[in-house]
Amino acid sequence: MSDSFEKRVTDAIANPKNMGELAAADAVGTVGSPGCGDMMRMWIKFKEENGRKVIDKATFQSFGCETAIAVASLATELIRGKTPEEALALKGEQLAPELGALPPMKIHCSELVEGALRDALAKDNAGAVATASPATAAAATGSLVESLSPSVQPVGGKKIVFLK
Amino acid sequence: MTSLMSIRSDSTMQEVLDAFPGARRALFKHYHLGGCSSCAFSPEETLGQLCARSGGLNVDEVIATIQGSHEQDQKLLISARELAEALRLANPPRVLDIRSREEWEAARIAGSVLFTQELMNEILGRWPKTATFVMVDHLGATSLDAAAYFLGHSYEGVRALRGGVDAWSQEVDAGVPRYRLE
Repeated sequence: MSDSFEKRVTDAIANPKNMGELAAADAVGTVGSPGCGDMMRMWIKFKEENGRKVIDKATFQSFGCETAIAVASLATELIRGKTPEEALALKGEQLAPELGALPPMKIHCSELVEGALRDALAKDNAGAVATASPATAAAATGSLVESLSPSVQPVGGKKIVFLK
Repeated sequence: MTSLMSIRSDSTMQEVLDAFPGARRALFKHYHLGGCSSCAFSPEETLGQLCARSGGLNVDEVIATIQGSHEQDQKLLISARELAEALRLANPPRVLDIRSREEWEAARIAGSVLFTQELMNEILGRWPKTATFVMVDHLGATSLDAAAYFLGHSYEGVRALRGGVDAWSQEVDAGVPRYRLE
């Protein structure tokens, strides 16, 4: 990995944009497996603009590597104002042109972002999330932090019993 | 619990994980086993069965890998008393709690903070690689995984609290209530 690429990634994650859940999202997409260490979830909200349906805001959560976070941060900025079709047309390095060419070992990072975006937009087309209330959507998907490790899952059905 | 020296080909994966809490991480790192649904193993299957269906891995070699990883893990652990002493230093380590919010609110080490996605990104993006911090869970079963993740990102000052908050309650501060999840 070149120093300049490392610096671009460092710069991107020093002030990451659009991190965290989007409460009133119209679409949510997830790709990867927390068990395998790489996972990306993306929330998208649309708006009408000049008679077109465009992406108003996109946010993400990731426990992937720094490069995945950098790509997601830049990509969620880039796709604002684009139609779903325009967003889907973006491939690999086009999602984060500021980073330049990704080293071979990091191409997977942009694929992770691309996959989460595709998953979200596919679900939006299917109406699966769009028809659900924000609360329902959030409950169905949970938060990424919760899904990463049993230790950070809400107590849920279990209760805390103090020992005497 | 299976002792450290006694895991064998016919040990179940549950026994292996009980004896070596970091075994899942070691197996994934070295053999890409147990990471996701496609490479998962069940608690009931034996280590020998897992090795046989994973391209005929050498069981003795896999056991040696697990044990070697375990020894490395031990260097990441800090005892409750050692942490208490460290927290009295001029530049104490930060204590990051990876349990659920409910557990953290019910019983926690004073000054600890709840681990969140935002905190994780702050660490990766802004904390110097020389930062010192201690990962804490309930019983010490999973904090090693979290510490190993950050060690893998060059944070050599990361540690995991041996025995978790429960050990803290017993060894340092009885005012922090012990609990179990039902």
